[in-house]
Amino acid sequence: MPETLLNIQKLVFTYKNAEQTLAEVDFAVNVGEFVALVGRNGSGKTTLTRLAMSLIKPASGKITLQGKDTAAMTPADMARSIGYVFQNPDRQIFHDTVAKEVAYGPQQLGFAPEALNQSVAWALRMTGLTELADSFPRLLSRGQKQKVAIASAIAMQPKMLILDEPTSGQDPWDGHNLMELLNSLNQQGITIILVTHDMELIAKYATRVAVLDRGHKVFDGTPAELFSGSRDIAAWGLLPPTAVALSQQLADVNAQNAAELLKKVMLAIKERSDDYA
Amino acid sequence: MPKLAPLTKLILTAAVSVWALLIPMLIGQIALVVGQLLLLGLYRPVGKHWKAVSGLALFAGLLVAIQYVFGSSLEFSLMSGFKMLVMSLVFVFMLATTRLQDLTAALVSQCRIPYEYAFMFTSALRFVPDFLEESKAVREAQACRGYVFHGNPVKRLMDYIAIVEPLVLRAISRSETMAMSLELRGFGHKGRRQFTADVALNRPDYAAMLFMLLLTIGLTIVR
Repeated sequence: MPETLLNIQKLVFTYKNAEQTLAEVDFAVNVGEFVALVGRNGSGKTTLTRLAMSLIKPASGKITLQGKDTAAMTPADMARSIGYVFQNPDRQIFHDTVAKEVAYGPQQLGFAPEALNQSVAWALRMTGLTELADSFPRLLSRGQKQKVAIASAIAMQPKMLILDEPTSGQDPWDGHNLMELLNSLNQQGITIILVTHDMELIAKYATRVAVLDRGHKVFDGTPAELFSGSRDIAAWGLLPPTAVALSQQLADVNAQNAAELLKKVMLAIKERSDDYA
Repeated sequence: MPKLAPLTKLILTAAVSVWALLIPMLIGQIALVVGQLLLLGLYRPVGKHWKAVSGLALFAGLLVAIQYVFGSSLEFSLMSGFKMLVMSLVFVFMLATTRLQDLTAALVSQCRIPYEYAFMFTSALRFVPDFLEESKAVREAQACRGYVFHGNPVKRLMDYIAIVEPLVLRAISRSETMAMSLELRGFGHKGRRQFTADVALNRPDYAAMLFMLLLTIGLTIVR
């Protein structure tokens, strides 16, 4: 039986002067999972993660972290177990060197000096920032800033990382490197919740996907189940990864008929291009 | 409550400040504060405006305390605090009930202030909520890194100073982006501008202005 790390039960949340943002959402995350949280803009993904981090409090429902009710916990309490990486790295960087920035969290949590230095060195090494330890964070590239934000989170030795669209605004290479880093952290035992719109990343890295649509959880399963073609994921504002879309187009093709295969491939590529256009 | 034009509210802002200077009695200052709060209440402001009022009241209280501690009489200290409150509350009223684009339109088309200066004034006002929002985002990021927002006030102040630098840098960066965006949309264009905001004066505005004029004359004579 897998150990549940974060358990969200019947969570309801409404912003002031707005419709219900989350409606009785149940969402549990087990130790070691790499969960992708997806859905169209405004579906409640970021709100759910902010609730999990105690940045905001629910109208009703319960959140437990390793079995403990988080109702009375502050974000600072949650930070002992969960590292939160915001979408915009500029908003979470406030020191003048990368090393000081990464050390801020462990300092706040009262790490002993030796443990603090070790933790910062490990976080810098894991994120490939050791060479940039003395750099001014604001002059780094967006990808490097996002790594600083991740290093700052993992330096606190959390059991779980929540990342809100960490690859948005990054070039493909930086995005790839970032996902490889998250995968590596996950392999080392850190549970990951990734808020994203990128279906290619989900197909490649996530072990589980939860889909939110208008404040309701409408799907919770593996990426293979989500992209199997048995669900109308377009209704949830999602597009299947390119490989999946192609495989669906080619499902009924007799491979021996090369001309028909080529025609189908061309048609699938065109439809895919139209989808993105 | 009749909708007053931005120009009327601008004149009210100046008039209230003049009244605060003309009225020599504490009871008069209190009446001005109460009057402004009632006026603000009639426009059904949202929570953040009441928060602004509370902040100003707190600041006025501090001013009174400092004046009193450093040797002024209680009445003089209270007068200073209430005068400050009267003069600042009227800005809360104006900003809470007027859209910034309407204010810009009124300053340019009715007060004949050059567009660049009017825009600079309203943009500066717009930066306050932006700055507060940025500050909140950074504080949230700090909280997620284990920082606790209570305890020793000196430590809290030092921690807050740490976020001032990134906030200022971001504000500069944002203003640069905004300046470029404005230039790219014809900000420097010379000639007539068209405003979509309706800032024309109506009967309630003329009535309000007459009231303000009479009260100012009356207070001047009494003084």
